[in-house]
Amino acid sequence: MTIDITLTVNGTARTVRVEPRRLLADVLRHDFALSGVHVGCAHGACGCCTVHVDGTPRLACLTFAVQCDGKAIHTVESLGGVDATHPLQQAFSIEHGLQCGYCTPGFLMTLAPFVDAMVAERRVPEDAEIREAMSGNICRCTGYHGIVAAVRRAVTEQIETGSAQP
Amino acid sequence: MRPSSFRYHKAESVDHALELLARFGEDGRPLAGGQSLVPMMNLRLAAPEHLVDIGGLPLTDIAFTDTAMRVGALVRHRQYLAEPRVAHHFPALHEAVTWIGHPTIRENGTTGGSLSHADPTAELALAAMLYDAVMIVRNTAGERRIAAADFFEDAYVTALQPGEMLVAAEFPLPPVGAAGAFVEFAERRGDFAIAAIGVSITVADGRIATAAIACSGAEPRPIRAPEIEMMLSGRPLTDPQSRAAGRRLAAAIDPVGTFLTTADYRKALIGELTARAIDTACARAASR
Ligand SMILES: Cc1cc2nc3c(=O)[nH]c(=O)nc-3n(C[C@H](O)[C@H](O)[C@H](O)COP(=O)(O)OP(=O)(O)OC[C@H]3O[C@@H](n4cnc5c(N)ncnc54)[C@H](O)[C@@H]3O)c2cc1C
Ligand code: FES
Ligand code: FES
Repeated sequence: MTIDITLTVNGTARTVRVEPRRLLADVLRHDFALSGVHVGCAHGACGCCTVHVDGTPRLACLTFAVQCDGKAIHTVESLGGVDATHPLQQAFSIEHGLQCGYCTPGFLMTLAPFVDAMVAERRVPEDAEIREAMSGNICRCTGYHGIVAAVRRAVTEQIETGSAQP
Repeated sequence: MRPSSFRYHKAESVDHALELLARFGEDGRPLAGGQSLVPMMNLRLAAPEHLVDIGGLPLTDIAFTDTAMRVGALVRHRQYLAEPRVAHHFPALHEAVTWIGHPTIRENGTTGGSLSHADPTAELALAAMLYDAVMIVRNTAGERRIAAADFFEDAYVTALQPGEMLVAAEFPLPPVGAAGAFVEFAERRGDFAIAAIGVSITVADGRIATAAIACSGAEPRPIRAPEIEMMLSGRPLTDPQSRAAGRRLAAAIDPVGTFLTTADYRKALIGELTARAIDTACARAASR
């Protein structure tokens, strides 16, 4: 059995024919050539594969592509392009929030909406809140401190420069 | 790993879902948030032939009547935290939900999925036992209501029959002023609990009038502790003798050890969590 589905991925709609058993993560990587979608564990434990489905973070390894027919998907490629210009990406770079980078797309896609929400509230979160927000993502390299610092920086700088005003 | 092949059916309405489930019987399964079923399929622990995608059905409301809260099967875990009346009427349920997985899991996992999956230490299953929730179950022939105590039969086993679907869970409203607490111990933040305790109390004249205690981690399904509940009623909020209650519960249970925890460790842990949950609920009641 194959099914035709239409996904709007990073702003462009395209119809692809898929077997129902194919995971959204695999369809994005192979059919849409979006290698920023990383697969770490393929059972929900690491957060590497986090993308946005209709604006909400979701694990692409726990999602069948057929479930997303007609939906809008955003991957890390949509955040700040190849130059990684998004404020959270910049903050990751400055604060050493990554080393090998395998987990990074998942962290960014999990945390970007959290950062936006904090900036909209004009509130710098406690470290404990940041750690809770990223508790579903595993990083084997950094020890997490740099990632926490990056989130703090991304929120603080955007509040100070007055960007993302509500 | 990746799942084996299956046929996919998108349910356009509750009736459509029930027709599909009736047609496939043992070979069909609802797919809700996918947060438990898809990992099992990826690991090939489950290989259903037909998936009925109910994720888009409009069973997404938390609704209140004068006597009960009705939670639709497709309510996402996060919604409990966004609805102030949940914390107001069911403080232990509200606190329990903060312990379910991680934010991304709470965005996508559903009440119907969690209750039907029936993980032995699922927070919602414990809360359903604590608050005497009733499961509203449908098939093409009609509807039946199943008390939580009869619904959870064993680890990952419920009273649901092939062709049936949970459409809602109904939580009777506790008396005004009921206080509660939920405490849990897990190896890491967001992991399934090793053990958890929920407490709900009503209060009269500075004393516990009635108490409910639910426990996970003692048996392959959440249990109530009626003896401890009796013991607590009449005790002053300032001295509920929570340690004695914890010791008594620990002595009454017979948990199975796992590779992670011995049976004795679980007993000690459940005793301690019981004491803490009772103390927290009493302190909250006393501070009002
Ligand atoms: C990393 C991670 C951490 C997690 N941590 C926790 C945790 O700490 N505590 C916790 O409780 N859960 C946890 N979960 C599981 C999560 O809460 C799931 O959302 C929940 O167990 C299942 O809900 P679902 O909507 O995803 O159901 P699905 O995965 O879609 O379905 C689960 C099962 O229920 C059946 N089903 C679904 N809906 C219905 C229905 N309406 N009627 C009848 N049968 C139905 C399905 O056929 C399937 O057998 C975690 C999951 C992950 C991936
Ligand atoms: S690859 Fe999806 S959570 Fe690990
Ligand atoms: S940077 Fe290597 S896993 Fe996180």
